[in-house]
Amino acid sequence: MLSVEALKIRYGEVEAVRRVDLTVDSGEIIALVGANGAGKSSTLGAVAGLVPAASGKVIFDGVDITGLTPEAIARKGVALVPEGRRIFASLTVADNLRLGGAVHQPAAEARLREEEMLELFPILRRYHRVKGGNLSGGEQQMLAIARALMGKPRMILLDEPSLGLAPQLIDTVFDLIAELRRKGLTILLVEQNVALALEIADRAVVLANGEVVLSGTAKELASSDLVRQAYLGA
Amino acid sequence: MIAQQIINAVSLGGVYALLALGLAIVFSIVGLINFAHGELMTLSGYALLASLVLGFPFPVAVLVAVSCGALAAVAMERIAFRPMRGASVTSLLLTSFAVSSLLKVVFQNGISARPQAVAMPGWMTGSFSFGDFTIGVGPSISIVVSALALIALEIFLRRSVTGTAMRAAAEDFDVVRLMGIPASRIIATAFLLSGLLAGLAAMLWVAQRASVDPLMGFTPVLKAFIAAVVGGLGSLPGAVAGGFLLGIIEVLLQATLPGAIAPYRDAIVLSGVIAVLLVRPQGLIPAVRAQRS
Repeated sequence: MLSVEALKIRYGEVEAVRRVDLTVDSGEIIALVGANGAGKSSTLGAVAGLVPAASGKVIFDGVDITGLTPEAIARKGVALVPEGRRIFASLTVADNLRLGGAVHQPAAEARLREEEMLELFPILRRYHRVKGGNLSGGEQQMLAIARALMGKPRMILLDEPSLGLAPQLIDTVFDLIAELRRKGLTILLVEQNVALALEIADRAVVLANGEVVLSGTAKELASSDLVRQAYLGA
Repeated sequence: MIAQQIINAVSLGGVYALLALGLAIVFSIVGLINFAHGELMTLSGYALLASLVLGFPFPVAVLVAVSCGALAAVAMERIAFRPMRGASVTSLLLTSFAVSSLLKVVFQNGISARPQAVAMPGWMTGSFSFGDFTIGVGPSISIVVSALALIALEIFLRRSVTGTAMRAAAEDFDVVRLMGIPASRIIATAFLLSGLLAGLAAMLWVAQRASVDPLMGFTPVLKAFIAAVVGGLGSLPGAVAGGFLLGIIEVLLQATLPGAIAPYRDAIVLSGVIAVLLVRPQGLIPAVRAQRS
């Protein structure tokens, strides 16, 4: 469904991503793991169109989307849930959701979709008229995911969904990710918590210093010496 | 007398509020302080003059003039600011200065450096009595128009998808784009609204002075800029509050200062502005911006 080919990203003189190749098949969860600064978020940013690629290609559904604007890529069915959630703090939960689904469907369908989201995230129904900024970190993460789902994406990019959340909430978020996948959504997950990511993913790609150092099924990686030593602390 | 002064104060404040709001809308979205905002006002003034000279009925002439302001703002963005997208704040600022100077020269050389009389309808300069009070028609209309414009804008920003997206974009533009909402639509709407507000402000300004000149927009927009800063740059409620506050203080000082001190009115007002900013550097009602590391 998605393939990233020889992606390179530069910020001025700094090469944040030297070379990343990865593919995500329909219905899979692929985890992109690695240390801080390995180039995970930059890679997601390039897929979503927020970060320009210095070279390489991003292909979605057989179409080259490299260099398209973020809005064009979003309309093709790729939704990014950015790091730090970045919900609209001064807007109500309802307005956050409304913007998420605004351009992807007629208004009547968007309302039905919102109802589905409120079923999936009962907490958002309770805080429907509350400003996003007043929600707790976990609630904001739910809102960020629900907002991204409002546009009925075919693929969702999750950037560090566990960051800054209490352990219980992390479980809730990851249960949700598993449920989304059961519903047929394709997921590219960036996570610093490697153990957690390998538990849920089908396959994983390990980045270090902007390059792919290892990739394989989640099971293989979980038992690989390199991953165990470097990331799982075993 | 006091009633008349209050009406004058609120009416001037309303004009400043409309202008400050136009500056704030654009600033909140593109981070640009549009110094050519005054020229949008001037352009609307000339459009009114031209429409009246061409013999259009007054309401039609006003409609044409306000639309000209709005369209000119959109054209300004398309021609001057869009190619500069992503440029530094300084570059944007210089671009807006360039547009402003260019338009001023065009007005001076293309029309005339001297003020042109605008034939406003006679009833506008009249007044009506309200018990013991005599109240000018012009300022009263000005207050009603400002109030209606503010209410309409509020409804647009709260209820419509584009308005909601604009509020969101003021906080975090990139994420609005991630929702699939085109950046150009948000920016064009911001300029359209700012031009519309400048056009309305021009009508109210000309209504009280019955003339238009190439530098017409300069002073009110400078005041509006001050109002926007006092209110909290980029904050829409702040711009409105700042506008009314500035208008009211100006008229009050005008009415109460003894003759010998009167020439120092602006200096006194600006000292007040400095005092406000010392206490509240972010303005009266600071803008909400996403805090990101």
